[in-house]
Parts: sequence; C-alpha cells; structure tokens
Amino acid sequence: MTGTGPVLDVQDLHVTFASSGGDVHAVRGASLQIAPGEVVGLVGESGSGKSVLGLTALGLLPRKPEPRLEGVVLLDGLDMITATDEDMRARRGTDISAVFQDPMGSLNPSMRIGAQVAEAAGGATDEEVAEMLAATGIPEPEHKARAYPHELSGGLRQRVMIAMALSRHPKLIIADEPTTALDVTVQAKVLDLLAAASRERGVALLLVTHDLGVAARICDRIAVAYAGRIVEEGTAAQLLQQPHHPYTVGLLASRPRLDGSIAGGDLPTLPGRPPDPRLPLAGCAFAPRCPAADAQCAGPLAIHVNGERRNECHHPGVLTRWPEGGPHAGRRDPILLKAPNPVVAPAMVRGVPPEPAVVVRGAVREFERPKPFPFAKRPAPFTAVAGVDLEVPHAGSVAIVGESGSGKSTLLRMIVGLLEPTAGDVTLGPGAPPQMIFQDAGASLTPWMPIGKQIEERLAALDVPSSERGARVAATLEAVGLPAEAQTAVPRALSGGQRQRAAIARAIAVPPALLACDEPVSALDVSLAAQVLNLLCHLRETLDIALLFVTHDLAAARAVADEVVVMQRGEIVERAATEDLFTDPQHPYTRELLAAVPEIHAMAVPA
Amino acid sequence: MGALVLRRFGALLAVLFGLACIVFVLQTVIPSDPARAMVGANASQEAVEAKKAELGYDDPLPQQFTQYLQRLAQGDLQSSLRTRNEVTADLREFAPATFELAFSAFVLAVAMGLGLGLLLAGGGRAGRIIRIFLIGGASVPAFLTGLLLILVFYSWLGILPASGRVGDNFIVPDGPTNLLVVDSIIGGTPDLTLDALKHLILPALTLALLPALAIARTLSTSLTQVEREDYVRTARSKGLTERTVLLKHALRNASGPALTMSGLQVGLMLGGVVVVERIFAWPGIGLYIDQSIAYSDFPAITGATLLLGTAYVLVNFFVDLTQAWADPRIRTV
Ligand SMILES: Nc1ncnc2c1ncn2[C@@H]1O[C@H](COP(=O)(O)OP(=O)(O)O)[C@@H](O)[C@H]1O
Ligand code: SF4
Ligand SMILES: [Mg+2]
Repeated sequence: MTGTGPVLDVQDLHVTFASSGGDVHAVRGASLQIAPGEVVGLVGESGSGKSVLGLTALGLLPRKPEPRLEGVVLLDGLDMITATDEDMRARRGTDISAVFQDPMGSLNPSMRIGAQVAEAAGGATDEEVAEMLAATGIPEPEHKARAYPHELSGGLRQRVMIAMALSRHPKLIIADEPTTALDVTVQAKVLDLLAAASRERGVALLLVTHDLGVAARICDRIAVAYAGRIVEEGTAAQLLQQPHHPYTVGLLASRPRLDGSIAGGDLPTLPGRPPDPRLPLAGCAFAPRCPAADAQCAGPLAIHVNGERRNECHHPGVLTRWPEGGPHAGRRDPILLKAPNPVVAPAMVRGVPPEPAVVVRGAVREFERPKPFPFAKRPAPFTAVAGVDLEVPHAGSVAIVGESGSGKSTLLRMIVGLLEPTAGDVTLGPGAPPQMIFQDAGASLTPWMPIGKQIEERLAALDVPSSERGARVAATLEAVGLPAEAQTAVPRALSGGQRQRAAIARAIAVPPALLACDEPVSALDVSLAAQVLNLLCHLRETLDIALLFVTHDLAAARAVADEVVVMQRGEIVERAATEDLFTDPQHPYTRELLAAVPEIHAMAVPA
Repeated sequence: MGALVLRRFGALLAVLFGLACIVFVLQTVIPSDPARAMVGANASQEAVEAKKAELGYDDPLPQQFTQYLQRLAQGDLQSSLRTRNEVTADLREFAPATFELAFSAFVLAVAMGLGLGLLLAGGGRAGRIIRIFLIGGASVPAFLTGLLLILVFYSWLGILPASGRVGDNFIVPDGPTNLLVVDSIIGGTPDLTLDALKHLILPALTLALLPALAIARTLSTSLTQVEREDYVRTARSKGLTERTVLLKHALRNASGPALTMSGLQVGLMLGGVVVVERIFAWPGIGLYIDQSIAYSDFPAITGATLLLGTAYVLVNFFVDLTQAWADPRIRTV
C-alpha cells in the first residue's frame, strides 16, 4: 500500500468519550492529510482535540473511558480505526512514532537512557545508541547513555525522545507540544533539531502545539483546530500573512510579540471560551466569540477549498485584524476598591515622589545541600541569589526574566517574606503587605472553600468591617472579570484562567502596595494569558499596585513592565527600561534569551 | 549507592539501639520479680534479696542500663528462668524453625501478592472476582484462616499434616543449618524433604494470606497509577507488546509501594508467628514465647523479642536497598 499517497489521511474523524456528565465530543469531523516528508503544524487552544487526533493516529487513545471512533484514519494505508491492536502495535515505532510534551515524565525513570533508546530501535549496540544520541546533539553520548533520565536536563531528555522517535526511520512522527515544558532558551534549539532531523531523513512531522509562533517557526503547512474540527488550513505563509478564519486572526493577535506593537496598550484577547465539548454544535462553533458573526453563521457549515487552502467560515477574510482591546477595554472607570485605611500619602501632597514599594539591598540567599552520608562534611551551600539590589517604584512595574534556576523565584519569595535572606535587606514601602500570585493558582487557593469566602477571609484579616465585606467581595470579583456566581464556587469548579483570576481577586481584595507574580500566565493558553496580563496592567493603573513580575516569557514581560531585570545564576546581569532592553540588549545572555523566542515575525516565509 | 547503604546502615544501628532501650524500659517498669521466680516460691526472703543483689537489680538504674547494654553487646541474654539454659542457647534451638516458617511465608506472600496484584490491575472478570475475595479475605483473622485450612486439608481431605515440622516416622538430622528442608536436601533424604515441605504448607499459607492480600492491593493500586504515566505511553509508542510494557516498564516502577508494604507485613507476620506456631504446634520462637509468658520468664521473653525485632529491622533494611535498586532516583538523594 505504500506509494505516493499521504502518510496520514484523516477523513471526517469523530472521537467521543462517554463520561458521567454526557458524551465528550473531543473530535467532531476533522480531516487532515500529511504528505510524505511534510512538516505540518496542528494549532489551537487546549481542548480543541489536537492531542486526541494525534493519539488516534498512533492507536494509543486511552481505553478507559472507551472512546467511540468514526471516520477513517489511514496510516500509510492501514486504517487505525478498524485495525487490530496487534496490527497497530506492529506499526508503532516502525511507521509512526511520537514525542510527547513532558520530557520529565515521558522517559522510564528506572531505566538507563541507552537501554531505552536501544529498545526503541528494536535492539541496538552501544555504538549505535551513542550515534543516535550524538545525532540529536547530545554531548558525551556514551556517557549519557549510562545515565538515568533524572540526571539529564529537560532539553536533553527531549532530545533523547527525539532520538528514540527517529530510531527506526518511521514515516511519520507525532510531536505533541514537544517544547511547551522547556525553557525558552532550549525551546528554539529543540524545535529546530526536530525540524532539521525530519527534513534530512524525509520523515513527515505533525507538530501539535497551542502556540502559533512555534508552528510558524518550522512548518510548511498549518492546520488550525477549533472545537474538534480543522477550521482553517494552508501554508504557513498564507495563514500568517493572510488568515481567512477569524479564529486564526484571533490566535495571531493574542500572541504577545517582541516587536512591541502592543506595548503600553492592551493585548488583544479572544473573549470567551471554546464551546463545551459535551454540547452538540449547530453552525459555526466559533460564533459566540466571533466579532464578525451574523445570522448566516448559525446555518450549516460553509467549507471553502481553494488549492492548498481550506477554511470553514461563512465570511472568509472578513477580519484582517482583531478589534482593539479585550473584555476590559472601555471599562477604565475606577474600580470600587479602596485601601482599608486609605493612606493619602503626605509625601504625595507635598509633591515629593512616594516611597518605593520595595527596596532590596545586597540580598543573598543560600540553600544547604544535604550530606552525602551521615558523618560526611557538609558540602558548601548552594547560592540561589548572590547579592541583588532591586527597587520597585510606587505603582511601578518591574519584570524579572531569566531561565529556570536563575534565582528569580527565590528573590521574589524573599521580597514577600516567604523566605529569609541569608544576608542583605528587604525594605517594604508603606501600605498593605505584599501579596503573591503563583503559576499554579490552585496552590494559593484553599481547595474546599468557596471563592467568596476566601476573599472575605482576606478582608477580615486586614480589619475590613464586616458590614462592608459583602459589597467588597462583589466588587473585587467584578474587578477581576469573574462572574458573580464565582462567589459560591470552589476552585475545582473553575477553569484554569478563572482560578488565576480568583487568586488575583483574593490578593487584591485589600489592594497591597506590591503584587508579586511568579510565572502567573505560563500555565495558561495564549488567549487566556493575554487576558490575565491585561487584568494585571489595569489593576496596577486603577489601584496603584506595584507589580513585580517573574517570568521566563519575554513577550509577557514586555507587555506589562516598565523596567526589565535579567537574572542569570543568581545575579542581575542587565537591567534597563523595557523598550531599551528589547531594542538594544547589552549583555550576551540577554541577547541569547531574545534570540530564542519563537516569533512569528522573525519567520522567513518557508521556501 | 555506597553512601546510601552506609546511611541506611547507620539508621539500622540507631533503630536497634532504640529497640534495646524500649525492651530495657519495659523490663524495669513491668512489675515482676524475676529473682523470686529464680529462687522459687518457697525460698526465704533472704535468698530472694541475695539473688537480687547477684543479678544486679539493686544497682541504680543507669548502672543497670550500662550493664544491660554491655551484656547485649557480648550476645549475653542471661538465663531463662524456666529452662535454666542460656536464652541464646534456647533461641538457637528454636529460631531455625521460625526462620524456616517465616521465610517460606514471606516468599509465599510476595509471590501471591505479585500474582494477585497483576491479575487485579489487569481488570477483566478475574480482576473483579479477586477484588471481592480481597475485600472479604482481608477481614478474616489469621487464627481463623488457620483453623479453616486445618479443617479442609487435614480433617476433610486428609492430604496435609497440621502439626509439627515433620512426621513421627522420620529421624530429624542434627544440623548443619537446622532448617529441615535445607538439611534434608544436604543429607540426600528426599522423603524427609517432601514431608517437611508438606508440614510447611498450611502454617506458611496461614501466615502469608493476609500479607499477600495487602501486597496485592498496594501493587494493583500503584500499577493502575503507573499505567497512566507518560513513560508507559512512550513504551507503547515504541511498538512494544503489552506484556513487555507491563513487565519491563510498569511493574518495576510500581514496585516501590508494594515493597514498602512487604516490609511492613513482615512485622505483622512476626507477630502472627506466635499464634500460628501455637495452632500448628510448630516448635519455634513463637511457641517458646508462648510458654515463657506463662512463667513470666522475662529474660526469655526479652531475648526473643529482641531477636524478632532485629529480624524485622534487618528485613526492612534490605527492602530499602531493593527499593533503591528499583528506583534510581532514590539512590542519589
Ligand atoms: N480520555 C478522555 N476522556 C474523556 N475526555 C477526554 C479524554 N481525552 C481528552 N478528552 C477531552 O477531549 C477534548 C479534547 O482534548 P485534547 O485532544 O487533549 O485537546 P488539545 O490537545 O487540543 O488540548 C477535551 O475536551 C478533553 O477534555
Ligand atoms: S462562520 Fe461566522 S461566526 Fe464562524 S468564524 Fe466565520 S464569521 Fe465568525
Ligand atoms: Mg494537547
């Protein structure tokens, strides 16, 4: 059956999981073809069915709950929907292989790297294994082959996954969010490796990602998924330069960019959320969120095919750019919040600049390392932060960037008082004590307590009279853009973006002088991330809260900060006003960070 | 790995010391009069006092404690009040039988736990039936299981013996290991080996049943969890067969909690030995303790307790090391 046909041919695929709350329609009629050697991106918000499509092609959908499959998924001629388990197993590794998202979890923790690679290759000598590892850019391959996964960095582990995926020269590799869990500096390199390796060997690649920038960097063709369908498809250049479907326009717009076109203003956001996968769809699934929707859009789907391009919009090309602003645009009126004992700073009256929100001088933080055995000499402590000076002005906004392990979070924790500095001083300005927002909003919310109660507790702790609390809770929820029902909901009942808003609501119920945010949006989808970033900026403006923002995402830093501080190995290597840093980086490490960001604009139109 | 062994060994010594301390405290706080017991109920008060002084019971506690530790270090557990032998000599006589029983039961428990755990995690009809059996079985105490097994296999079917280590018609060899099965193999007497094994089955099964169920439950829970791990999906994506995925990737990573559980169960089994040896008239330490309790034979009781405690700690030391072998991440912390 091999020949010139597509390696993967998905026709009208439906995947449905039975669940107690009703059937979950993960994929609702998706079609997609991949030619031999082609590099295709599958892009969309989380929940759009991308991973399920990839797993169907691999024949690796979970068995419980048993999925219902309709349609055709031809993998080099074999229909993965009707094939027996044994037939599908025989194709895996040889015809199709996979690179998954989380390099921490995708390798067997109790098996040496070399053994895992050899197993993927269907048996290989030590020399062959070392060669395969070397081919994916792993230094000292013989040595690394004897290591266990936990002894390698995330980037190296993902290279190992790639080596395994390539080991039997498959016809197709499914790479599901292969770089999402990696540091920015490593992301670009791993992505380029994946693209180069598959092009060199003529292996087709399906790159599943929620980040259009990532897909744009390496793909020939991009398919945009929404609510279980492919709503637009075309060459990378066509989609980026002339998107036809409004959803594609929205995805493009909500991606923070390094060129600063949105700096100062709002990041455009996609309001709303994808439809509930349990509900039936009539007409265009994107209509509730689409600025161009009209009566026609509720009718039967309009499918336009034109050469390489295909879209499912009644009015292709109606939107050339996403309308300005998100859900908060046009609502700049002061929010009904005030500090418990409103301090009209006397300094302000006299025209003296108010005191900074925080001043850090010579902060050092060391962590003890465990002894290797009971009576051993204690090893020298590990220095996470090595003498840092930092100042966040009143109502200012400072971003700290750097790769993971550079000491950003440790510094932040010292500032909010979660960690004692080993040496140096942290002086907080006047006003309510600082609050902190974490990457995982769940971590800061009490899981069983309704959101309203949690906010109320905060108010009580800071002596807000009980008569005022009810109104304050309502105002706070409104200020962070949460519906009133959120008041009685427990965190589990909220989506990721809503949980992060709830965490913010609790932190600002009594506006602190400083809001410290540790990677507040890195766990969120692009469009949700943009909404949360906008929210933070608005809160800063309306409530005079200073922001201290730790992130490894430079684009996010650019969107919110006046000043950016770059940290490497516990020290500040560069600090500058945001514009200067992005236009004229001084330190080589800053330049490396900037170069590593996958960027739609930096993309050359694929040949 | 070397550093880990050292560290765990340090912990082992510390736990043993703690055990010795607890036994000493129990010995001093429990009201009993070993001196009186030794000289006999009819002896004069003077004789009792003299014996007390001789045994050192009049000395201040700290001094008694150091003497106690010194004796322990020399392996001296004093003399039994009942048998008048050195306790160490008594233990040497009774310990091999218990060791043989406990070891067989442990192997049986781990083997049954492994098999049941795999079946359970595999789901399907076998899994469901086993689950019911597990829930029911876990609440039956060992003595009941023992009696039930005796009823079925000895009284009704008459295919297995239910008392002692060996039939009356055999001459028990004298050493070298005092483990009957081993000695009979060394001595080249297959009939004796077979008979010894037959005698082992019922008590070992009784002792092994509850631990096996606990191990099976723990293993199946962690197997179900590991099944969801990304690396299991990776293993499948390599085109490995389900069997290889289960045995090579899932089982080893799921074994940690089951190993811990096995170690804990050894404690339960060593406690259960007293009951089971009594039911099956098994001439081991359990029986020895049982008889010593009736006599308030403190040196004997403490000696046997120390031995069982040490065995428990040692087994868990090896369980720890096995775990470190199974999970390389433990080795480096
Ligand atoms: N095993 C499963 N059981 C039930 N629902 C599932 C399962 N896997 C995925 N889904 C649902 O299918 C939809 C699509 O999921 P997924 O393919 O993971 O999206 P994406 O990869 O685009 O983020 C989601 O609504 C998700 O909750
Ligand atoms: S069909 Fe209508 S609602 Fe759907 S994307 Fe196009 S314009 Fe928007
Ligand atoms: Mg996904």
